[in-house]
Amino acid sequence: MTARSLESGAPARERAASPSLWARIWQNDAPGYLFLLPWLIGFFGLTIGPIISSLYLSFTDFDLLTDPNWVGASNYVRMFTNDPKFLASMRVTMVFVIFSVPLKLAFALAVAMLLNRGMRGLPLYRALFYLPSLLGASVAIAILWRQIFAREGLVNDFLSIFGIVGPSWISTPQYSLWTIIILAVWQFGSPMIIFLAGLRQIPQDMYEAASLDGASKWRQFVKITLPLLTPVVFFNAIIQTIEAFKSFTPAFIISGGTGNPINSTLFYTLYLYQEAFGFFRMGYASALAWVLLALVGLFTAFSFLTSKYWVHYDD
Amino acid sequence: MTTRIDRRQFLMGTSALVAAGAAGVMPAWAQGADLRLIFWGGQARADRTYGVTDLYTAANGGAVEGEFLAWNDYWPKLATQTAGGNAPDIIQMDYRYIVEYAKRNAIAPLDEFVGGVLKLDDFDADQLEGGKVDGKLYGISLGANSVATLVNTTAFEEAGVEAPTNAWTYDDLMTMGEAFNSANIRGGMKAISDSSYNEPSLDNWLRQRGKALYTADGKLGFEEQDAVEWYQLWAKLREAGVCVSPDDQALDTGPLESTMLVQGKAALMPSNSNQLVGYQALVQDKLNMVGYPRIAAGVGGGHYRKPSMFFSVGGSSANKEAATNFVSYFVNDVEAGKILGVERGIPCSAAVRDAVSPTLDEANQIALNFVANLGDLLGPLPPPPPAAAGEVDLSLIRTLGQEVGFGAKTPEQAGKDLVTGAAEILSRA
Amino acid sequence: MTDAPAKLTVVGANRLTPTQRRIVSVLMHAALLTVSVFMLYPLLWMLAASFRPENEIFTSASIIPSEWSLDAYVRGWNGLRTGFGTFFTNSFIVSILSVCGNVLACSMAAFAFARLNFRFRSFWFAMMLMTLMLPYQVTLIPQYVLFRQLGWVNTFLPLVVPKFLAADGFFIFLMVQFFRGLPKELDEAAQMDGCSPWRIYWKIIMPLSMPVLATAAIFTFIWTWDDFFGPLIYLSEMKSYTVMLGLRTFTDSTGESDYGGLFAMSVLSLVPIFLFFLFFQRLLIEGIATTGMKR
Repeated sequence: MTARSLESGAPARERAASPSLWARIWQNDAPGYLFLLPWLIGFFGLTIGPIISSLYLSFTDFDLLTDPNWVGASNYVRMFTNDPKFLASMRVTMVFVIFSVPLKLAFALAVAMLLNRGMRGLPLYRALFYLPSLLGASVAIAILWRQIFAREGLVNDFLSIFGIVGPSWISTPQYSLWTIIILAVWQFGSPMIIFLAGLRQIPQDMYEAASLDGASKWRQFVKITLPLLTPVVFFNAIIQTIEAFKSFTPAFIISGGTGNPINSTLFYTLYLYQEAFGFFRMGYASALAWVLLALVGLFTAFSFLTSKYWVHYDD
Repeated sequence: MTTRIDRRQFLMGTSALVAAGAAGVMPAWAQGADLRLIFWGGQARADRTYGVTDLYTAANGGAVEGEFLAWNDYWPKLATQTAGGNAPDIIQMDYRYIVEYAKRNAIAPLDEFVGGVLKLDDFDADQLEGGKVDGKLYGISLGANSVATLVNTTAFEEAGVEAPTNAWTYDDLMTMGEAFNSANIRGGMKAISDSSYNEPSLDNWLRQRGKALYTADGKLGFEEQDAVEWYQLWAKLREAGVCVSPDDQALDTGPLESTMLVQGKAALMPSNSNQLVGYQALVQDKLNMVGYPRIAAGVGGGHYRKPSMFFSVGGSSANKEAATNFVSYFVNDVEAGKILGVERGIPCSAAVRDAVSPTLDEANQIALNFVANLGDLLGPLPPPPPAAAGEVDLSLIRTLGQEVGFGAKTPEQAGKDLVTGAAEILSRA
Repeated sequence: MTDAPAKLTVVGANRLTPTQRRIVSVLMHAALLTVSVFMLYPLLWMLAASFRPENEIFTSASIIPSEWSLDAYVRGWNGLRTGFGTFFTNSFIVSILSVCGNVLACSMAAFAFARLNFRFRSFWFAMMLMTLMLPYQVTLIPQYVLFRQLGWVNTFLPLVVPKFLAADGFFIFLMVQFFRGLPKELDEAAQMDGCSPWRIYWKIIMPLSMPVLATAAIFTFIWTWDDFFGPLIYLSEMKSYTVMLGLRTFTDSTGESDYGGLFAMSVLSLVPIFLFFLFFQRLLIEGIATTGMKR
């Protein structure tokens, strides 16, 4: 996360070498802080308090209904020594992250590239492709997914053309997670729109020049589109990964909040939710949340550190 | 080492950075009503409940502001409101959570109001007992129901199999299942859904053996051998194709529309007597209900008249007496009873019951008759389940049942895991 | 479609004969249409379900209802005691205010992070990212206590005020990435001319960032509209419910549900967000398409 501050900053400081310290602070820092003011108010007023509270609660036995008692690190100790469900749910979430994020991003980028061409009826296609994302957490999704991935579902109807008799994908432990991964990929609308917005910012004259030089489509993609798109790729990768780690709703609606069959769709946050609101162990759930935060934080910090080698900014 | 810190103080302390001046404008509707009521349920229940609150306001003056949510959304919201010191005055409570809330004083004991605003003269004794935790009255039952097997009578006719009656046994189930398989209707409809991980089915079966899921002091009420036999019984039924396959059964995630009955994969399904109406609305076939199967001919005692849900009064309510007065009106007033019908179960006041029964439609009539005529199926009322019962159900009973179904564990292994796992969960809570 | 990308197609395709070009076009449309069917199927199913008799919704194999009826729409619209007219109004108020708040406050914060220098900038940026990483389930109760302390529970304030205070780091981060893609020379030239940071933000950066601002507006509107957990926790009177909360209240696994009403109102609830998307995606397309801008 520190990568940003390293590269720029020189010009503004030079200019302010003359007057007193306070004047210098005013000139250098004030505009930044003024623009940041709404966020700072929100951060200190609304956000940080509950965050610190949850950190505190992770060291208590808070049961939602009575006052919390301090229990030291025992929540964390239990998590790492005596909780098979912690490991199982972490594994489910990891598989989800590893497969859903790249697939979703690749799909979103491919469709965005396709939709960025001048073609008749494109606004319509764009809207259609965004439709699954509009449905959000609708009850209809659970019903629909069952219709597609149950034994008598559409997928098996299709497979039967080739003489394959498929199982009930959505409710068989080996496959159920995959139907949720497909659901996540199917709702690829948001990264697609962001990619589109990024593609629109690439100056067209660069393509024209390249095209006149006889560069192939693929070369243009590799030499122009991808480098200029890296800030957006970077953003989508970071955000989608964080979201995937925190993913809750798809598993909740598909499994009715149970994480079944046989905990095969027990996502980390679903387990956390069960602990907090199902079993009245908010203290333990808070500890689970902070372990997740540490994990995602490490991942993000690592991504930012490596980003200066591959993300191309204009500044 | 435990240090006590007042929760609310702490939570507020960390947020004290918030300027008090930010209080902002509030719409007029944010001002509180006289009494706040929260319940879970669908449209039908809401219509009836609001009918009664309107009636109450007309008769008593004080307004009752009601809010309702779906079951899954209800509990996080109630917990959040309770934790935030903002619990409603009147809270619909479930048998499963009443101990949890009562032990933590999130709901108030109502004994002091009995005979005063709370009139329970012709209230069913067993239903009154069901609302007690540690001898104190924490919940007023809103209706009695019982577990029941829903029967798709149309499917039975189609298969040419005689539909079960209250006398039926697990052996009969085996025979029925084989008959269903040879009839092969509707693309292989099975006789029954896989009930091996349906907690009430296990409970009912144990009670017929003279055991129970839980004892009065919150311990496990059965042994490993019982659990093993239970899983073996269902393994046999599964093998014979009497019940649906494990992957079909796993499609049932709770909502009515995902159940084997509505999906048309099974002709019988364990459920509750007050749910017949909800299911009948979703299927074209004619539904009926009978008891759960008996372990052997003539053996009874598995069923009991369960309080389907309670009204409790919030532990932090400033109007406990007024709230109790409303609850008393809700269960005793004949006109209110006529509006409510048997949607929440059979009314517990004899006077209300008599007034209501002539007004019922067919599906409700079936439910009423079923609960009124349990006969020898009826056993004693069990104590309310311990606080960790929900966790035992979700973490063990359902998961282990599926593991046996999918062949990941043997019945013997699952029986052992159930008993040791449940003991651990119960001791932790 | 006469904007810049059209040129790209022409330039790229000019090695093909007209017939080949037509074939490519037909194939493209065929591919896109096939994908569209998969995208559309849920909507068609929901539409069908909203018109058919209740006991046919889950039991019929055909997507065409046996009989068509508007009952579910009438029942649903007037349902839940309050009626969906109120829920729609509430959702509109919350969503529109959220769009205004997010676009303004997040773009300001993003401008600071992307274009201004100040002490501890990376620290604040890291803090902002951190707020994205904690699952909301565990901050819910402290937050509820806080809002209750402020007297905001059962008003729209807990849903709207955070948006005006840029509480959703997603949008800040998104805008930062786009602002950093704009040529630095723009600010520098403006600064030479004596432009204040405010003018640079308002007159240069914002107008050039229409695609990302439109994106933020679309997402905010749709996500606020689709959000149910916030309204679930903070709104406790039926007349302040939003559409999503209303929809979830139609079905209850323990009693009688109204599935027809659910699907009818689900279809209606998609209309505003779909229209909002259609309208704002024009801004997305009209983007800068900067042919003249030098990098």
